[in-house]
Amino acid sequence: MSNTVTAGASVHRSPGDWALKVAPWVVLFVILAIVPFQFPSFRVEQFCFWMTLAIAACGLNLLTGYNGQISVGHGALFGIGAYTTGILITEFGVPLFGATVASAVVCFAAGILIGLPALRIKGLYLALVTLAVATLFPLLLEQFSAITGGSGGLQITSPQLYRGEMRERPIRLESPVAGLENDQWKYFVFLGITVVIFILSRNLIKSRVGRSLVAVRDNEVAAESSGIPVSQVKIVTFGLSAAIAGIGGSLFALDQGQLYPSSFTIVLSIYILVAVVVGGAASIIGPAIGAVFYGLFSDVIVQQMPDRIQPARAVILGVLLILLMLLAPGGIVGGFRTLQAKWSARRSSTHSSGLAVTGPSVTGPPAAGPEVTA
Amino acid sequence: MKKTSVQVSAALLLGFALIGGACGGRDDSSSSESTETTASDSTEAAFIDPAADCTDYKGTQGVTGDTIKIGTVRPESGSYAIYDNVTKGLEAYFKSANAAGGLPAADGKKYQVELIKKNDEYDPAKTPALVKQLVEEDGVFALVGNIGTETNKSVRDYLNENCVPNIALATGSTQWGDANAYPWYISGLPSYATEANAWISYLEEVNPTAKIALLYQDDDFGQSYKAAIEKAIEGTKITLVAEEGFNPLAGSTTEASVTKLSQSGADTFIVGVGGTACPLTLSFVPTTWTPMTMISVTCASKTALALAGGKDQGVYMAQPTLDPADPADQTNPKVVEFATQGAAAGLDEAQIQGGIASVGWGFGSMFAMGLKNATTVDRADVMNALYSLQDTTFGLLRDEVTVNTDGAKDPWAIEGFRIVQRENGAWVEKAPVTNEEGKSNSFAGE
Repeated sequence: MSNTVTAGASVHRSPGDWALKVAPWVVLFVILAIVPFQFPSFRVEQFCFWMTLAIAACGLNLLTGYNGQISVGHGALFGIGAYTTGILITEFGVPLFGATVASAVVCFAAGILIGLPALRIKGLYLALVTLAVATLFPLLLEQFSAITGGSGGLQITSPQLYRGEMRERPIRLESPVAGLENDQWKYFVFLGITVVIFILSRNLIKSRVGRSLVAVRDNEVAAESSGIPVSQVKIVTFGLSAAIAGIGGSLFALDQGQLYPSSFTIVLSIYILVAVVVGGAASIIGPAIGAVFYGLFSDVIVQQMPDRIQPARAVILGVLLILLMLLAPGGIVGGFRTLQAKWSARRSSTHSSGLAVTGPSVTGPPAAGPEVTA
Repeated sequence: MKKTSVQVSAALLLGFALIGGACGGRDDSSSSESTETTASDSTEAAFIDPAADCTDYKGTQGVTGDTIKIGTVRPESGSYAIYDNVTKGLEAYFKSANAAGGLPAADGKKYQVELIKKNDEYDPAKTPALVKQLVEEDGVFALVGNIGTETNKSVRDYLNENCVPNIALATGSTQWGDANAYPWYISGLPSYATEANAWISYLEEVNPTAKIALLYQDDDFGQSYKAAIEKAIEGTKITLVAEEGFNPLAGSTTEASVTKLSQSGADTFIVGVGGTACPLTLSFVPTTWTPMTMISVTCASKTALALAGGKDQGVYMAQPTLDPADPADQTNPKVVEFATQGAAAGLDEAQIQGGIASVGWGFGSMFAMGLKNATTVDRADVMNALYSLQDTTFGLLRDEVTVNTDGAKDPWAIEGFRIVQRENGAWVEKAPVTNEEGKSNSFAGE
């Protein structure tokens, strides 16, 4: 599809091009490294929350962006990850990140279960099934309040020394580095995990398995006749996607130290989907960008609005989404790629290098978005 | 190239993290205006000693010149938005004080109060970020009149660890009685357990074999009532024949529960829910069921009861405060002061008579008392002052209700109630005030 632009660039790769490619990443990492030192700790904790959202969106992107299965239920999987972590730590004294691994496993299983119907139904109908899951989840939390704490919340605690006696106290990630405060340490740990998950997803997508994901999305019959085990691919993708969302949820639990059902309503599922669409489905970095934009909107911009307007934030977000979808149907990354393609098309036409640049094909609808470009 | 770019990014990430760590420190603007202080040495050992209990203690954060910054969190939207009137009353108190030159402090100065409000929609998942923002970004001196049990609970560890006062909580959950572990919290309401105990004491008098049907909010607030009722009826002939929990966040009403309870054969109905759900509950009571109904103090305002569809007639409550809508109370100097100064500060007639704003007015008054009694304008001093009150009163408390506190031994400021019944839009006294000094914690059930 859109290989022409990047292929054209790679033919003429020069040190300048390489610098152009690496420079944005360097800038990004510098910003990411400076950020926790510039803001008070509650902001840094919000950044950690955005990262957990980005991870969940990354998981959903595998499923929706690359495999073409729409899920409106990832908020529930995020919640399963969070509550698994909370319960394992509080009730069973499991070490913090051990609980994260366990959450990933539990969510993988949950994802497979939810994904089973996906073998028979697809599109809108699958979206409806996952919608039901997302709607049920907070009610289930209330129902099983003996384990989950119900609407009173689940305090994630471990025995700690406080005021001279051992008490159940909220968990915390103690910073082992002298110059880093606890929240800054947490930020870098989360950032490391987030980056690793995004890199692993990228590698997955670029592998044979990744190509079969995309093949199933683009044409199931063709994929099947090429020898791709369609059912297995679909269901494992669901499980994998759920596991990643579960890791996001687990980190959310570690970030907040307490969990309430009101955090895991259908709204969360929609926001994860929004992050994917806004960032740009079927691009690796898209969900991260989408999560940051959503975080900026809800935690920073909305807070600046007058109190009277704040309850209308969902409406405002909706209008923004419609505008974005009109201007850049491929999300932020899609829009960026379009601009990039236009720019290089103009450059090559003025230089008349003779390279064939067949316009951008990156503005398709998100679910059937562009193929991977490097 | 692909592999190396991954490695490069990982290396960059690590590298910058380390550089960032080496730079260390944090550009902490909110704390720059505060100085490290130690509480002044009072004559006797104070309840809170920040030197021993606090790391990085910022005793005077939020105090600049003659201005004190105060934060408050309340539901401005959502089904608990009715409590926003509490905050309106709090705001009116500070406005009124500012107009009169400021709140007097023991250092002889008068302080203007700047109130910063946040909206958490009564959702404890939203509260922590907002409270942390108030403390770390807005740099408030203290929080006053925060609304909600679960919401206040969600920041309890944070505020106590950071030694930030949370004064006059708009909740009477029994857990605020644990002043030993959480000395930076002090409630502005009576304990819900003490209230429940007052109901049962009265029931023992008038109906010793009462059969209670209980509707309780299924969170810490309602469970406080439930546990205290269960404890109070032990050893009496009063029985709890039916109970229904109600989840305030599920988006449903209490109608089904009320119908169920009405068929339980109970002759007493206790409504342990808050918000608009409480008056609506009264409106759901079928005409065939005429129990003696006790309502929560959080529901007893004129504003709330106006939603009961006329079914508030005859209900009972345990009342610690004066009611600005009650003709019998309107001549009390406290009510007169509230009505005139509140009106001057922008409260309208409905808010003044509503019985919710007056509660917030009381919270402002409680903070003012702490500031006035404290030897210096310092967080720990203000808390210590509030934890050593003697035979005083504040806000719109009934004159017979005495206020005494003594650290963890007696952490509850308000412990007295009278029993009243609603007749034609006013309250009629059925039993005089009983002050349960220092006993509130003992009423709390398991």
